[in-house]
Amino acid sequence: MLRTVLEWYYRQLRSLIVILLTTMLVVVSMQVFSRFTGFIPRYLWTEEASRFCFVWVIMIGSIIAVRDNTHFNVDILPHPKSKRIEGIYGLMTHSAMLAMAFVFVRYGYEFARFGVKQTSEISQINMLSIYLAFPVTGVSWVLFLFEHLLSDVNLIANQEQGNET
Amino acid sequence: MSPVEAAAILFGSFMVLIVLRVPVAFALGLACVPLLHLDDKLTPIMLCNEMWKSYNSFILLSVPFFLLAANLMNAAGITERLVALARASVGHFPGGLGHVNVMVSMLFAGVSGSSTAEAAGIGSILIPAMKKQGYDASFSVAITACASVMGVIIPPSILMVVWGGLMSVSISGLFLAGIVPGILIGLFMMATVHVFAKRRNYPVYQRASLVEFLRALRGASLALLTPAIIVGGIVGGLFTATEASLIAVIYSSVLGGIVYRSIGLREFTRVLYESAAFSAVALFCIGTASAFGWLLAYYRVPQELVAFAEGWGTNAITTGFVIAGIFLLVGMFIDAIPAIVVVGTVLMPVAERAGIHPIHFAIIGVVSLAFGLVTPPYGLCLLIAASIGKIKVVEALKDVSFILIPMLLLLSLVIVFPEIVLFLPRTFIPDLR
Repeated sequence: MLRTVLEWYYRQLRSLIVILLTTMLVVVSMQVFSRFTGFIPRYLWTEEASRFCFVWVIMIGSIIAVRDNTHFNVDILPHPKSKRIEGIYGLMTHSAMLAMAFVFVRYGYEFARFGVKQTSEISQINMLSIYLAFPVTGVSWVLFLFEHLLSDVNLIANQEQGNET
Repeated sequence: MSPVEAAAILFGSFMVLIVLRVPVAFALGLACVPLLHLDDKLTPIMLCNEMWKSYNSFILLSVPFFLLAANLMNAAGITERLVALARASVGHFPGGLGHVNVMVSMLFAGVSGSSTAEAAGIGSILIPAMKKQGYDASFSVAITACASVMGVIIPPSILMVVWGGLMSVSISGLFLAGIVPGILIGLFMMATVHVFAKRRNYPVYQRASLVEFLRALRGASLALLTPAIIVGGIVGGLFTATEASLIAVIYSSVLGGIVYRSIGLREFTRVLYESAAFSAVALFCIGTASAFGWLLAYYRVPQELVAFAEGWGTNAITTGFVIAGIFLLVGMFIDAIPAIVVVGTVLMPVAERAGIHPIHFAIIGVVSLAFGLVTPPYGLCLLIAASIGKIKVVEALKDVSFILIPMLLLLSLVIVFPEIVLFLPRTFIPDLR
């Protein structure tokens, strides 16, 4: 059940990041072409809007990478020789990442609250819509990290029951 | 808290987390938390604030675009066209495909700003071809990985965009500065291929006829226009780095979608997703690395380092070698982008104090970090090439280290003779001092 919901959420994020990157392309194109051709009016909001999409692209990308385990890490420890050790490694890594996720939830929320009263300089967008990326990212990390931690625990437990799976 | 104590806490907790296999981006962020809690004047909300400030940059926006352009070029089959051209030009030298590999990397570097896209794109074509012709898998992997580092040295370059955006150095100046060292690395590497080929009796192609050469040149000509458009446009003041990256995306989409008709909508969406996801991971690091760097600056660690550096004198060449050494070491363990954010900004005052030109300092940094792309434990290009060649990274290490020797020699030349780097920027940008 949990996995189905998370899988659905993950797919939405994948579509969203493509839509945001496409928006960035369109908006920056408008900016460039308005400068080189006469017939498109010069918009001021394009620069700001593209930056705000960009922030969301990075944050959503970081969520996707938590699920896919594609954030860069360094292999210094010896390679895990059994599933159980692999599970223990995963448990350490994912718990540390979970700590960071909680920092994001807790202080990202405070940070987002600053945004409620601010509007952006050029297009008067409420800054909450951008600052919100931080707590949203934190909560999403927590969700996907719980999924990973469950798999880690399963790896360790299965080994103890004598390689049933 | 003294600078030394603060640095010890920051770097200490970072190292512990790295050993626990916590991703670099998370380790940098988590390492900031203790200090942000302990100091009464600071709060962890600043972590979010520093990250937000670093992402909210119109210059950095070019990173996903440059990566997208490179991936579109790969998908459009432009890499194959460049291979055909390289084969017609250098295929008849001893170790033909090795030379082709180096030359394609040089051409591709002028089109893309990313070494990883280069290793993946060129490797998937040339590594199987080289193995089939009887080259050792280790050599095929090693030369592909090492040649791909030119991707971030020859303009356009994602690392230079990040460097210039962060430390307020002219990006057009950096792009011009990368041309000569980049081409020299290619030539040094071709000499190395020659030595390998003679000792291991690698095969050669028959020399291409003039007609064949011209046909290959025509096939690749539209792709070869890209560097002229991008670098010419930026240096000529026609557009900014971000706008140039967008034009590169449009140009490669037009080539792939309309001229060559090799990319459909489905393929285009896939490339969009992969570029967004991959660049987001690299860029996410910039945020936490900026917070880390901000704390180092808050506790005056860079100033302390400058005072310490006085100890070994302010000779530009010695300082240059020390800087290169630090970047080489750091580049072995972490990705180039966070290394630029943390180490680059910390070393900047040291370089300044020694009278190293900001562009020269940047190129020393970028070249040293580029070598980190092929050195374990964290050599992204080597990992990619090894997985394409289906061998373990360890098996390629001996050949990699052999190819790295002439490259290190070039790095030393760049440090000792700043003119190699500064000649082109000074010629084309008159008001550069």
